[in-house]
Amino acid sequence: MVKMSSYNQDDKMITIITNQYNLIHVLSRFGIPLGFNDKTIKEVCKDAKVDCNTFLAIVNFLNDSSDKTPDISFLSLESLLHYLKQSHIYFLNFYLPSIRRKLLDSITLKASDVSFLILKLFDEYVEEIRAHMEEEEHHLFKTVEDAITGTSNNEKRLPVYSQHHEEVASKLREVKNIIIKYCPADSNANLLNDALYDIFRCEEELESHCRIEDLLLLPAIKHHINNLKK
Amino acid sequence: MSCMSSIHSCKIMIADAAPIIRVGFMESLKSIKNINAAIIGVDTKESLFTSLATNSIDLLIINPTFGGLLPPEDIRKVSLNKEIRIFAIEISKVNQATLSLYDDHLHVTDDIAEIKNKVIGAINPQSKEVEEKENLSVREKEIISFVVKGHTNQEIADTLFISVHTVMTHRRNIARKLQIHSATGLTIYAIVNKIVDLSEIKL
Repeated sequence: MVKMSSYNQDDKMITIITNQYNLIHVLSRFGIPLGFNDKTIKEVCKDAKVDCNTFLAIVNFLNDSSDKTPDISFLSLESLLHYLKQSHIYFLNFYLPSIRRKLLDSITLKASDVSFLILKLFDEYVEEIRAHMEEEEHHLFKTVEDAITGTSNNEKRLPVYSQHHEEVASKLREVKNIIIKYCPADSNANLLNDALYDIFRCEEELESHCRIEDLLLLPAIKHHINNLKK
Repeated sequence: MSCMSSIHSCKIMIADAAPIIRVGFMESLKSIKNINAAIIGVDTKESLFTSLATNSIDLLIINPTFGGLLPPEDIRKVSLNKEIRIFAIEISKVNQATLSLYDDHLHVTDDIAEIKNKVIGAINPQSKEVEEKENLSVREKEIISFVVKGHTNQEIADTLFISVHTVMTHRRNIARKLQIHSATGLTIYAIVNKIVDLSEIKL
């Protein structure tokens, strides 16, 4: 992978994906379809009616060689919130169920070993993630929406940071380590590796999702509320 | 804590305003195979403080001039992990009094092996001791078998003639040694390690 320091609006959209293919999901969460020819980031965003500054902020934030703190003053809160909501939908309705299917396919469910307990452990973890994300949507996202529409600009309702991120992350580590250490020997190795590979990737993606919430969303909403007060 | 037993359970943060130093340290640490840590870079005081308060950072490698001189004690105050280790980045000559405030320091001319030794020493201080401690005692195994069979702390205390407080201490130690905090996870461990038989478990 070729690492770029950071992207700007005149770079070609395709360079983002060819340089770092794991950023491909950012496009779909913004609702940007593939098939964009040789268009620049600015052109593609305009076609898809996506706020280009927010798109670039997220891409540059996730680009692992550019670790600079992004300038939040150019962010569109609506666009950022939409992206985060789409990410929740992606994890809960697509990614985690797809990992579960792979796990189910790779282990032979038998009453005589721990295979069904491993699936139970995974299901419990998914439920925890779901509860965390729903809670976030009801409180944090609601506060952000109220601040955007100006119906309420109570900064005190905002958390200093999102408290449950560390707990949720340590739970996934536990699930992963248990599968690696205690999975029954008669599991299908290739399918199980595939499921594990997804779990590793899910762990990384959840981690960057949480960092976007902590380091982009929270500072951006505080900046917005301070502007309203002026 | 043993950072190296499980993948990415450890977090290292590099704080330096200069990208070439920051990214240089990040890439150097990533190239060391034995360090399975998530490595985060920060370039402003605000992002440093947010990251420290939101993540349990095990090791912070920071330029002493970062954010207009931040004494390590002030960093510890905001840190979620109170046992955070703090290293200074030495670019030019830094006075001894300043360096002594830090747990250790990395000089920009240090080679990878030196960096590796210092970093591993910090994230995994007594690796051998920790491994020895990870073995469960007979009593702890006994407690596990009761727990996974669905007994309450009170029932376990009554059966073994110990206090509920002692049962809870055992359970905390078990969770720490095995890095397993959920009941289902503990059940899997107990069955695989033949502490209980699957038929004894009520689901």
